[in-house]
Amino acid sequence: MVERGRRTGPRPGRYSALSLLRHGVTGQAWPAAWRNHDMRRGYRVVIIGGGVHGLATAYYLARNHQITDVAVLDKGYLGGGGSGRNTAILRSNYLTPEGVRFYDRSLQLYRGLAADLNFNVMFSRKGHLTLAHSDASLRTMRWRAEVNKLSGVDSDVVGPADVKRLVPHIDTSDRPRYPILGALYHPPGGIIRHDAVVWGYARAADHLGAHLHQHTEVTGIDVSGGRVRGVRTTNGDVAADVVVNATAGWATLVADMAGVRLPVQTFPLQAAVTEPVKPFLRTVVVSGTLHVYVSQTARGELVFGASVDPFASYSTQGSLEFTEGLASHVLQLMPSLSSLRLLRQWAGLCDMTPDFAPIMGPTDVDGFLVDVGWGTYGFKAGPVSGEAMAECIATGRTPEIISSFGLDRFARGELLGEKGAAAVGH
Amino acid sequence: MAMRLERQPDEVVDRDVTLTFTWNGRTYPAYAGDTIASALAACGVRIFSRSFKYHRPRGLLTASYLDPGCMVQVGDEPNVRGAHRLVEPGMRVRSQDTWPSLAVDVKAANQLVGRFLPAGFYYKTFMGPRRLWPAYERVLERFAHGGEIPDLSSYQRQDHRYDQRHVHPDVLVAGGGPAGMAAAVAAAAAGATVLLVEEEHALGGHLRWGGDDVRSALRELRGRVETAPGIEVLTDSVVLGRYDDNWVSVVQRGLPTVNERLVKARAKSLVVAPGLVERPYVFAGNDVPGVMLSTAVRRLVDLYAVKPGHRAVVLSANPDGDAATEALRRVGVDVAHVEDARRGGDIVRVHGRDRVRAVELGDGRRVDCDLVVTATGWTAPVSLLTMAGAVPAYDARAARFRADPAQLPDNVLATGGVVGDGSLDELVAHGEATGRVAARRAAAVGRRWRAASPTAHKQAGPLVEVADDAPPALPVDPHPELFRARTHGIVDFSEDVSSADLVTAVAEGYESAELAKRYTTATMGPVQGKLETVNVIAIIAEATRRTIEETGTTTWRPPYAPVTLGALAGPEREPVRRSPLQSWHDAHAATPLVAGAWIRPDHYGDPAGEVRAVREGVGLIDVTPIGKLDLHGPDVPRLLNLVYLNRWSKLAVGRVRYGVMCAEDGVVLDDGVTARLGESSYLMTTTSSGAATVWEWLERWLQTEHPDWRVHITPVTTAYASINVAGPRSRELVRRVVADVDLDPDAFPYMHVRTGTVAGVADCVLWRIGFTGELSYELHVPAGHGLHVWEALLAAGGDLGARAFGVEAQRILRLEKGHLIVGQDTDGLSRAGSAGLEGLVKLDKEDFAGRPELAWQDQQRDYPRLVGLRTTDPTVVPVEGSQVVADDGGIGGRVTSSRMSPTLDRSVVLAQLDASLAHAGSEVTIAMVDGTRVTAVVTAGLAQVDPEGERLHG
Repeated sequence: MVERGRRTGPRPGRYSALSLLRHGVTGQAWPAAWRNHDMRRGYRVVIIGGGVHGLATAYYLARNHQITDVAVLDKGYLGGGGSGRNTAILRSNYLTPEGVRFYDRSLQLYRGLAADLNFNVMFSRKGHLTLAHSDASLRTMRWRAEVNKLSGVDSDVVGPADVKRLVPHIDTSDRPRYPILGALYHPPGGIIRHDAVVWGYARAADHLGAHLHQHTEVTGIDVSGGRVRGVRTTNGDVAADVVVNATAGWATLVADMAGVRLPVQTFPLQAAVTEPVKPFLRTVVVSGTLHVYVSQTARGELVFGASVDPFASYSTQGSLEFTEGLASHVLQLMPSLSSLRLLRQWAGLCDMTPDFAPIMGPTDVDGFLVDVGWGTYGFKAGPVSGEAMAECIATGRTPEIISSFGLDRFARGELLGEKGAAAVGH
Repeated sequence: MAMRLERQPDEVVDRDVTLTFTWNGRTYPAYAGDTIASALAACGVRIFSRSFKYHRPRGLLTASYLDPGCMVQVGDEPNVRGAHRLVEPGMRVRSQDTWPSLAVDVKAANQLVGRFLPAGFYYKTFMGPRRLWPAYERVLERFAHGGEIPDLSSYQRQDHRYDQRHVHPDVLVAGGGPAGMAAAVAAAAAGATVLLVEEEHALGGHLRWGGDDVRSALRELRGRVETAPGIEVLTDSVVLGRYDDNWVSVVQRGLPTVNERLVKARAKSLVVAPGLVERPYVFAGNDVPGVMLSTAVRRLVDLYAVKPGHRAVVLSANPDGDAATEALRRVGVDVAHVEDARRGGDIVRVHGRDRVRAVELGDGRRVDCDLVVTATGWTAPVSLLTMAGAVPAYDARAARFRADPAQLPDNVLATGGVVGDGSLDELVAHGEATGRVAARRAAAVGRRWRAASPTAHKQAGPLVEVADDAPPALPVDPHPELFRARTHGIVDFSEDVSSADLVTAVAEGYESAELAKRYTTATMGPVQGKLETVNVIAIIAEATRRTIEETGTTTWRPPYAPVTLGALAGPEREPVRRSPLQSWHDAHAATPLVAGAWIRPDHYGDPAGEVRAVREGVGLIDVTPIGKLDLHGPDVPRLLNLVYLNRWSKLAVGRVRYGVMCAEDGVVLDDGVTARLGESSYLMTTTSSGAATVWEWLERWLQTEHPDWRVHITPVTTAYASINVAGPRSRELVRRVVADVDLDPDAFPYMHVRTGTVAGVADCVLWRIGFTGELSYELHVPAGHGLHVWEALLAAGGDLGARAFGVEAQRILRLEKGHLIVGQDTDGLSRAGSAGLEGLVKLDKEDFAGRPELAWQDQQRDYPRLVGLRTTDPTVVPVEGSQVVADDGGIGGRVTSSRMSPTLDRSVVLAQLDASLAHAGSEVTIAMVDGTRVTAVVTAGLAQVDPEGERLHG
């Protein structure tokens, strides 16, 4: 049995087929997934950012460490930032042993998440194919596959015939541009309902006693004597022993409030979705060379993403050029999608670090922790980050699994090696 | 055509042309001009699809492109808007995702269990046991709503064409209703070129079904558009998005030979005139076939001469509802009852499942009917205005969100229904005034553009802003706020989301409009909120006891209308690059190698033989794809010193030097040689894949950091065919074809450059370098003469055994010699030291890109190293990417390059190793891809063949 933290409110109705049936018969309303609270004057832990990272941190603080005097603040609604704008792809076939171990733990937590949170997050293990269009990318695939295998991750290089078998709509014919020479196949990868992950964590964290304050913007962070004292918000001042910056897009601005400088540049990343069609794409397909990744949701829509825009910006406006390039690249892979219609495009903000790895753990300001710099891979890491940040807060020690992600690595020059592979690593 | 009316005065169908098409396998007649839905409705068809979740039968609702119930499959094209797409002869139309048929759909059983499937029910169940989830998934997947895309082979058997067009109108008018037409005419009269874009198949907007009162006005407006000079009209076309600086995308549909076209406009002024969209009303049974909007009735009757039903009840809150009542009466529909919403009348429930049988009024009366018409309000499609920066606010008096034109930038204007109401005369006058302002502002922009262009005529008038009289505001009529009756009904028809679902979502804590929408998926479907957004917000406001203003609005994101991937992609834009010698390679059975955009000869059948030819005699390789940049100017040495690690100040004319570039993080970016051809003339080469990157890199330094430096860069990669002649007999061969260059080793030593005539071709550049490790000459020949020189070399070298070699042989040769390939033997973290290039780094130079990081690396000892490996078993060739495992089981490095060496008859390997393993003589273990382990020893240097370089310098 999982040990539960201190409960401060009534237990929300447990979700199950049976309870659906009961509610259907009785017409009884479901309790709120989470509640609204008045802001306390102080919390032991204040987490800035109500996305998957912040909410998972609150959840694991309560579940694993029985710390429930926790507030999660978000300037908008829950999951309105990167958590609601990503393309919801999960995988663990990274390039460095540190990356593989970290993301594999995340995948492991994701696999058990629906049962753990009592909220169906709809993890669809479709498998994940990264296509190789040149012998150079095939070589990188082999490298990744070998690192993965040595770390116990199911990942291997497959040939064009296997690609065709997995995705019959892909054009694997012999053609001069972007031929498909093979792929890195990662069966445990897949997609998940990203909003459900946010809501599941929010509901579970609320149930265990954390306070979720939406539409509460942090306007300042109080630091004195080298330690954090609390935050100022649009909803009043709040004292805190620990403040966690779990934001994306604005991570540098929030850290600035505490006087902490981050080596982060913010770039928009665009994505788009098509009208639904009958399921035909049963695998996540990625092409680094073509800067595109494609998956089909359970609703039938195709979700497309790309690499980050080539310039730093806080704008979440989409561009026409992006959709043109995207469409052209998708049709290079799957020409018969030409009559499929693009329905909507959007953009999210990605905080890029120099080595394409996150920044996690303590800073020079005592009590001010960061979980930032998530680039284009933050969603995949939500559960493991929450688990590790919670441990970091509760124990005051940096857990081994995130020890190589510290902010001080930049001063020491110990950068991580994901940059080569993570440029379009979805 | 049982429901076809007698000829109507404004009908758009051509009764002289009868077509046939099939619907679910049965043949139906249609007139030219009929939409799929109007033709079927004329034949009495009332059900066109089944709804997403509950598979409820769906009929016509808006009878327009937006109609959520009319998505059909046409041939291999999914999700065709049946109420908009015109019938073509022989068209094969099917209903989508119905089984076994549209009439009897098994999944309609979901209606019976609907109470157990509330919004987001799938989040609450199917959680365990985990092993069953894939099975649940298959079930959920069956509910994916939409058509089918063709498989690859059937797609490739047919002709598909998509294209793109660029236009530069002074004024682009989005919407061809009365205000839009008037704006276009007025702008054209003021001298502007105008692109008028209309979503429907004809201009006119709501005047098309306005009847006798407006017929002559419509004819006159259309006539003015037709005769005005400089107006181009695109019908069946929609403005998709407005981006910075009025970059406007338009989709053009219904073209005869093109499936769809993307029109990209740089409009000096944009006039937004999309009119208004009629809003559905929410009540129980509002999705039963036979419930439709007043505009749907008028389209069916006036445009298509289709009788929408036999006995109608109308809920009217505005003059358009009254006009629909009139239209129905005129064509003989029995209007059983008109419920006037302005006097508190209401409709609360429809009885019937597959068709309307009766309706229950607000006061409880029940009226039998087969048609229910609602006219309960309008939504302003403010999408383009929000893309231009306006923030719409809710106007309770008019019961719609409106955008304030004052928030728009100068180059975006709005007219017509999207900004206000008014009589036809007022709308036309407003449109005209708007068109004039748009033209004036466009002219001012044009003058600015011309003034900024050095080549344009400057006589186009003085550069002053013309005074600009904003058009008077249109009146805004009051309208009752009508969103939902006291019963619950469908809000989002494409997603099958009911008002009850929204209330449930709010009760469960999803109180923000965005959260409630995401939880229920309301507004996420193909209509993207254009019909339902305001109802959704109103119902969330009601459920949260907030006002509509407090509940907010949504962010409208492009595209406004869905657009095919084909049109967005346009014609194929992925050129393939071929060297001028490619025809020779093809003729000589070269195996092609795709290298970026280039096709290169991988080998000619025997790479090992090609290697031996180079080591023993002479070989030729086509190296045209290597990047070539012509650098001119007195400051070139400064630039070279800045981007390369080594020193360039003293490179003499006639010399060539190898250089490595690092990014600012010290990571190796590219390598190549640069020659000084003349006093201030240099030729730089880059790797083939790095050509574009390096050019951008140099330009970035020049343009952003050193704009004062006098350097001019011209990419000349394809201006030259590049041929490397390599091997101990290369001098002998080159001597036979070169007339005016002294090839004597003392006159033309290693790492020198000469220009001269090769095989009669003047202005060739020759330099001595040696990637292969052999004596070699690289010839850069004017591209047009490349093939001639290549063939001349081969002909001249017949007795020397000269033969062509490919990329594979070159890779083996360079590997034997221990020359690295950037990006293969280095990676995203390899600084110079990790590539064995410490010697090149001149830290005492003033400054260069990457210097601080490299200076730091210089003080470390523990960075990874590039080393040579000699496998214990000489026949073993570990696959590139194989991992080197350390004693503790951890990863200690990887094999970056490996081949069997024909020269040494054993494997040659380069590897990146952790510093602790990377000393000569240490034994390492390689994990082979098949799981076995082999051992290898670190060699003393990288070169396995001719480590002293005697061959190279000879």
